[in-house]
Amino acid sequence: MTDLEYFKLSKPEKMLRSVGGFFARLPGTIWNGIKKLGLFIVSLVRGIGTNLADLVATFKDGDWKTRLSYLIMGFGSCARGQWGRGILFFLFQTVFNLYMFFPNAQFSGCYYLGKLSTLGTIETYKEGRRTVYGDNSFFILLYGVLTLFFIVAFIYTWRMNVKQNRISEQLLKSGHKLKTTKDDVASLMDEQFHKTMLALPTLGVTIFTILPILFMILVAFTNFDATHQPPSKLFTWVGWDNFKQLLSTDTTSYGDTFRHVLLWTLIWAFFATFLNYFLGMLVAIMINKKGIKLKKMWRTILVMTIAIPQFVSLLYVSKMFAADGLINTYLMKWGWISSPLPFWTDPTWARVTIIVINVWIGIPYLMLIATGILMNIPADLYESARIDGANAFQMYKKITLPYMLFVTGPYLLTSFTGNINNFNVIFLLSQGKPLSLQLSGNAGYTDLLITWLYKMTVNDTNYKLAAVMGILVFVVTAVINLIVYNMIPSVKNEEDFQ
Amino acid sequence: MSEKKQIPEVDIVVDHEAGVIREVKPEHLRSKSGHERRINTSIYAVLILISVIWLAPFVFLVFQSFRSYATESGAMVAYLLPKQWSLDNYIWLLTDPSSKFLRWYGNTLIVAIFCAVLQTFMVLSVSYTLSRLRFRGRKLIMNVVLVLGMFPGFLTMITLYFLLKQLGLTQAGAVPGMILIYVASSGMGYYISKGFFDTIPKSLDESARIDGATRAQVFRMIIMPLAKPIVIYTVLMAFMAPWGDYVFASYIAFGSEPNYNVAVGLYQWVNVADYQGFFTRFCAGGVLVAVPITALFLALQKYYVEGVTGGAVKG
Amino acid sequence: MKKVLAMLLCAAMLLGMVSLASAEGYSGDLKIWVAEAAVDFTKEQVEAFKAAHPEYAGMNVTVEAVGEGDAASKVITDVTAAADLFGFAQDQLARLVTAGALEEVEPGNAEIVKAENDAGSVGAVTLGEKMYAYPLTSDNGYFLYYDKSVVTDPSDLDAILADCEKAGKSFYFEMNSGWYQTAFFFGAGCQLTFETDNDGNLVKMNSTYASEEGVKALKAMIKLSKSPAFMNGSSFSTATNPGAIVDGTWDSTAAKEAFGDNYAAAKLPTVDGWQLGGFGGFKMLGVKPQEDEAKLGACDALAAYLSSEEVQLARYNALGWGPSNMKAQKSDAVQADVALAALADQLQYTIPQGQYPGEYWSLATGLGDDIIAKKYDNLDDAGLMDVLKTFETTCEGYLTK
Repeated sequence: MTDLEYFKLSKPEKMLRSVGGFFARLPGTIWNGIKKLGLFIVSLVRGIGTNLADLVATFKDGDWKTRLSYLIMGFGSCARGQWGRGILFFLFQTVFNLYMFFPNAQFSGCYYLGKLSTLGTIETYKEGRRTVYGDNSFFILLYGVLTLFFIVAFIYTWRMNVKQNRISEQLLKSGHKLKTTKDDVASLMDEQFHKTMLALPTLGVTIFTILPILFMILVAFTNFDATHQPPSKLFTWVGWDNFKQLLSTDTTSYGDTFRHVLLWTLIWAFFATFLNYFLGMLVAIMINKKGIKLKKMWRTILVMTIAIPQFVSLLYVSKMFAADGLINTYLMKWGWISSPLPFWTDPTWARVTIIVINVWIGIPYLMLIATGILMNIPADLYESARIDGANAFQMYKKITLPYMLFVTGPYLLTSFTGNINNFNVIFLLSQGKPLSLQLSGNAGYTDLLITWLYKMTVNDTNYKLAAVMGILVFVVTAVINLIVYNMIPSVKNEEDFQ
Repeated sequence: MSEKKQIPEVDIVVDHEAGVIREVKPEHLRSKSGHERRINTSIYAVLILISVIWLAPFVFLVFQSFRSYATESGAMVAYLLPKQWSLDNYIWLLTDPSSKFLRWYGNTLIVAIFCAVLQTFMVLSVSYTLSRLRFRGRKLIMNVVLVLGMFPGFLTMITLYFLLKQLGLTQAGAVPGMILIYVASSGMGYYISKGFFDTIPKSLDESARIDGATRAQVFRMIIMPLAKPIVIYTVLMAFMAPWGDYVFASYIAFGSEPNYNVAVGLYQWVNVADYQGFFTRFCAGGVLVAVPITALFLALQKYYVEGVTGGAVKG
Repeated sequence: MKKVLAMLLCAAMLLGMVSLASAEGYSGDLKIWVAEAAVDFTKEQVEAFKAAHPEYAGMNVTVEAVGEGDAASKVITDVTAAADLFGFAQDQLARLVTAGALEEVEPGNAEIVKAENDAGSVGAVTLGEKMYAYPLTSDNGYFLYYDKSVVTDPSDLDAILADCEKAGKSFYFEMNSGWYQTAFFFGAGCQLTFETDNDGNLVKMNSTYASEEGVKALKAMIKLSKSPAFMNGSSFSTATNPGAIVDGTWDSTAAKEAFGDNYAAAKLPTVDGWQLGGFGGFKMLGVKPQEDEAKLGACDALAAYLSSEEVQLARYNALGWGPSNMKAQKSDAVQADVALAALADQLQYTIPQGQYPGEYWSLATGLGDDIIAKKYDNLDDAGLMDVLKTFETTCEGYLTK
């Protein structure tokens, strides 16, 4: 198809084509992915090979200081006067050894590592009436993962320690001076400033985000639930069983419900993103129209809703819409309706009510954003359009909207994925209700994947399924991101914006 | 961002009566015709309607909070104006010995203040580094954060709870525990302030570097003074977030009532059956939480708008 | 002969317990979770307990407000951080036991509990042959509160609805709760019970929901849901316009406030001539497993004390909670209570609540929500039967495999 033909197509057709294009390219993309993965593995193996060769070479060529550093980390550095580095290396090794081989077995890394394959075998038992707790599968898994982290970090640091020796030796051989501890500190404030700045955030993210996420991914392959609850009970590995339970459609599984909830999650995210987007833009256009007074006041009134904590405003609003709440009572008092409107009890009503209330929450944000962007649209665009005889609606369609869409492309994407995980609105308004016999696993018609996950974790302590759900939410988000990245140029070039 | 912004030379107007969007001639090109006035009137009508809808819940909430606890019930009712106005609920919240509201309020305030300081530090470190320094692994870090961000936050709740418990930061230690949880991973939310740093011209750094300043000095002495808007934005966001957190806070406090934050404390009054007639107290508590935060927010609105619009554009 | 032996054994156990307890004592920390309303009361009783048992006087007891619904979930989430003693409603028992979060009742105390409390409450704390908790109240059932000036005849549902409609008031019934729903199903003559083994696993289901009676109950619920006076709910604090409400004793104070001089209570009404039934329920006090024997002794002694006759009576006087202790039930004050009288009247039509799988409650909520959402309004008998069959087979799927 030529460009000309393409331009003749209608909007929906173009849309279809670009989505279709994505899927048409999909095999190629996947093939590329596989190729990349293959290359990655090859380079990984090569990397290990060169590293091993380098290790051997360093040992062969090195002096006794270098060789001793293989056993005692930091020895070489200290011996060559680089005390700061040396001591840090040594300290790290000491801590690592202490952790791995702590005399009290309950606290040592080796203990947890050894039990990782079974997640514990000693059952809780009674001694008289006293309870003696056995293995704690939870901590075995958690510390097992932590230990693996630690080991990887250790290998990396050890390798650095050896490399350091080789570099120092070569520098000395060629007559250069080595960096002193003072130089090292100074470089942390200059060339290596990024290390100083990122140290704490990286540590925080590693322990409080990466470690827990890895842990939960592993939980998806265990039977950790209410009846296998440490410390009283053990849990163990079960393979893909939990995925089967969540996705297959036989009577005791949640497959049908999962599809229902997933579909609603996507519908919700679509409306929550785009309805708010257009209505917010509309409100912004109205407020910013010339001749409208008190602009600041209108804006402030709207913006107030952002400031008030949602657990106050949304809880109150949810009660307002109850069958015997303010709205129904007054509508009935005024004789507008004869029986209460089923805001929260009818599935469709509940969904629409939530979307509408979400507009109430979302418009202020979008109004602010749209205001900022409208100001940035070059005025001469409109000028030349007017000369060509375009009316306001055409200008909106041809100038305002495309400009907004282009500039806010990345925002729309993050906002869409953010809405997939928009917990507060659903949790505070409907808690996922209404339920139905047609849905299983405590899920309701307004439940999103994320609120269902919450129910599984908190109400049912069904961690294994919650973990599977978390992984699936990740997959959904990732797929959407991939599709959009492939479709919208301004998203793809996000990083080039600067 | 440099040239002066201009409102487009045509105004676009939504005519709700006709249900269409109309063009209006620019002001200086037209006389105040009846048509124009009609349009403006209908816009005012829409804006007033919107304002009413947006303000109504809060006004109702305030009404409820002033309903007399002694002579009318503290439960939900289906009428709007209290039959008898009183400060019963506020007095109970602030002075009654069995009310822990002030304690919860204090807890939340402490958490909010610490978060405001520490979280800002974390976010600025990460965003500055990723925006202005170039080093090996930079792209990798950004991609890892992107991928991590695709996992739902509640997934790891139970793990975080037990991690904190190992550190003794649950129940009695809930306040420092909350601070730790909010701050630890906050560096991942660097996007908006990175977008801001991206707009500061690189030439500033370069000339300072030529003058012999280290990167740390550039950060402290050149960039930081220019970053006031984004610092205020980050502080504001970090300060406001803890007031609304129910999920993590309730997990971390784990039933220890003196260590709740306001959200957990007030939430149970509406959703746990044991608290009969606490609804008006909930409303009063809500008002006490909302008023200072809203005031602060409105005072710093300008910075918020800059942050949000900048963030939306820069991604 | 057997009787004598049993008595001897019992006495020996009692002696054993007393001597053990008095010998050891305990002076560490101990934490109790009770409903918010009961915090002050429990604190007082703990002091009284310490005064009566000097060996425990040094104990540091903290009482925290954690709702009965919340407590069980929290204990299951992290049993080591949970309270040592916690109050909960009986529907949580099997769940707690299967999660390993409840200690068996000390054998000596178990004998006393068995002897002094009504049969329903004893059954409710027992799984298989093992007793897992101390009964506190026998009042966890529901009945009708109504406004005398609105409702003239509380014995017939249609009359109540007509009266409420006339007065512009509502009749509150929590249709989407597995607990209240049984009023219709059991009243119509259906049955739904689960049998457990000693460890709290549900091994067998007895259900006659998918029957003519079941259809009759379902039809009555659909009819109720169509009434303009019907509201779904069971709590005074969220009911904005009650003329009558199906609720329990815990709301009696709120009911008195709401209805004032017109406050009245009665057993549940009849529907088309048949009496609404439902659950007779119980609240209980559990002890979590302990690693320290001395502490376990203290927990046992304190739990026994808090569930004893005097304390149950004091609890009634302070909070209005109806005792499970048979002697306390016979006291004049309890006999004269309006709400408890209505409950007692209703109790003859109920069955003591046994154990149900956790999923049952959300399934029943689904059924109730479907009725309220008018999904079954146009179904004929066969269609309704299919609904009940689905309900039954799904329930059966919850059995422990």
